[in-house]
Amino acid sequence: MIIEARGLTRSYAEICALKPLQLQVPEGEWLTVMGHSGSGKSTLLNLMGGLDRPSAGTIQVGGVDLASLDENGLARFRREWIGIIFQQHHLVPYLTALENVMMAQYFHSVTDEAEARAALERVGLGNRLRNRPGELSGGEQQRVCIARSIINSPRILLGDEPTGNLDHQNTRMVLELLRELRDQEKFTIVLVTHNSEVAAWGDRTIFMDDGVVVRDEPRGAPA
Amino acid sequence: MALAVKAMTLVLCWGGICLGLFRAFGGARRTVLSGTLAGFAGGAVLVVALAAAVPATALAATLRGVLAVGFLLLGGVAVTHLYRPAGATLDISGPAAVPPGRWPAVLTSAAAGLVTAAVGGGVLGALPLGPDRLLPGAITLAIGLTLPFLAVAGERRLPVALLLTGEALLALVVGLLLLLSSSSLGLDLFAPLSMKVMKLIHDFIHQFFESMLIPDHPFFRNDVWTYIGYLFSNSVGFWGGLALWLLPPLLLVLGLLRKPLPSVAHIRQGAQRRKLLASFLRARRWQLVVPWLTVLVLAGAVYRSTHPATEYWDPKPVPVSAGADGTVVLPVKDGERDLDDGRIHKFALRDGEQEARFLVVMKPDGRYAVALDACAICQPEGYGQAEGTVICYYCKTLIPLETVGQPGGCNPVPIRFTASEREIRVARQELVNAWVSTVQAGARVPGGKR
Repeated sequence: MIIEARGLTRSYAEICALKPLQLQVPEGEWLTVMGHSGSGKSTLLNLMGGLDRPSAGTIQVGGVDLASLDENGLARFRREWIGIIFQQHHLVPYLTALENVMMAQYFHSVTDEAEARAALERVGLGNRLRNRPGELSGGEQQRVCIARSIINSPRILLGDEPTGNLDHQNTRMVLELLRELRDQEKFTIVLVTHNSEVAAWGDRTIFMDDGVVVRDEPRGAPA
Repeated sequence: MALAVKAMTLVLCWGGICLGLFRAFGGARRTVLSGTLAGFAGGAVLVVALAAAVPATALAATLRGVLAVGFLLLGGVAVTHLYRPAGATLDISGPAAVPPGRWPAVLTSAAAGLVTAAVGGGVLGALPLGPDRLLPGAITLAIGLTLPFLAVAGERRLPVALLLTGEALLALVVGLLLLLSSSSLGLDLFAPLSMKVMKLIHDFIHQFFESMLIPDHPFFRNDVWTYIGYLFSNSVGFWGGLALWLLPPLLLVLGLLRKPLPSVAHIRQGAQRRKLLASFLRARRWQLVVPWLTVLVLAGAVYRSTHPATEYWDPKPVPVSAGADGTVVLPVKDGERDLDDGRIHKFALRDGEQEARFLVVMKPDGRYAVALDACAICQPEGYGQAEGTVICYYCKTLIPLETVGQPGGCNPVPIRFTASEREIRVARQELVNAWVSTVQAGARVPGGKR
């Protein structure tokens, strides 16, 4: 198992966002997490990505207990293991698409423009390298995000509503891209979504409600 | 206060040298510890013995010679390092880059300890070792022998990635020794170096113009000398000296930057390749730390050299005038002034618009010396007195008190006089003539004299 959570709990003051949760994700799986707002989806994703620490229980990624890592260790873990795609893109507005991808390389190790260019060409943006985010459509910006998230060859790709702002056509394009990348690079994908059509692209879907996994289905949710 | 600053410098420098030795010979800590202790103790004994056997000036010259050899050795190593064998790549083997052989470790440590103790003894001025200096000497020795033990523990706290190659170790040791020696007027190497540079430029230009008969050229005679004079200024000597001073560690930096990194082309995955490349770059950055630190240390030595902690005795010239017979009479004892106290006493004789400054001093041999407060080479910025010497404020040359009153070099221009038990007599005309011929002759050249 690449991700293994045991009794994973996260509380914010008196609010328990995640109640003791057991979860196992095998390597290479595309797991979709569904549930209504406030059900604990993003909390779970943040814990998997080392962006947050559990209040109780353990979460192991690649055999390493994330709670045992200090801040530097967590930063190293995120750098080596995790790629994240957000709904809001979080691209640097005054950098070009190419520079946004190279910035991720810079924080990982050193920049390599040829490699960054190849990553953008791979997501179909070979002709938009020098455009800034404001000059790109929502779908194109999300593809820059994908290029940025895979440039450092992470083992796990986390997506927090990555298609939430996209129309049907762009949603499909992004999901096809993720599937293609997963098949080629053997990423493990954990995707949070409200959309059952998006969930249908995954290998397995868990449904969350009030911080608890209420259903675990082996295939994507029914459309 | 000045002694405390010097003692602190000794502690810092010896501590830094010990840290460098322990890091460079990481696999032979006990050997390094033995070497540093034996070397420091031996150096202390040696310098005390030498101080008893040879004059202080000879001892200072010997120590300066040792430091100069170290500096030249560093320069040679830096040049060799720059022209590395073809195909050699950056050494990223680990913190202990120097082979941890027993003999290299013990010899290097002992040599470093010996020279540091000797220079430290010279800097602190604890020589010759009289009864009043036994206690400070013993305390200094005790601290010097304790520091290696502290350095053993301190070295373990240094970043693991901080690599110290043989060249870097030499740079660190030489740099810290030069910083230490810059605390003493007699051991400082930078001031003589900048003066040599200034003299070299001066002699070269002078000889060049002489050979080209340019001084007689009608165009050059009046105007161009004004600009050429700037080449004779001590700031040219300072910057030229600084360039030579910082050259060895900068060559080490350049050599490291020129060394190719190990190849990463065999790794196919981009992220892994970049990660390995980043680790090589990081290793090189750590290797650059000590050479850059040496640059800073040497810059600190320059600062200490140009802003010495020593306070010079520099009395305000007392106005005097000649009597009807054209003689300036200086009573040996006049109120609080005592010409026999071994300190320089300055006087100013006004002659029309001219003011001739001169000094009187009783030398250690009990004889008086009377000389201009100027020399035949530099601009007349005058002299101060410290540590058994007088120093030319312009070129920072140290002149032993024993030689004041003798002509030549940067010595104050001697003046004939007669002395009795009660007074010293100097001819007014002799003073004025000497001042005019040595000072006014070069006054039209901004940087100095021709």
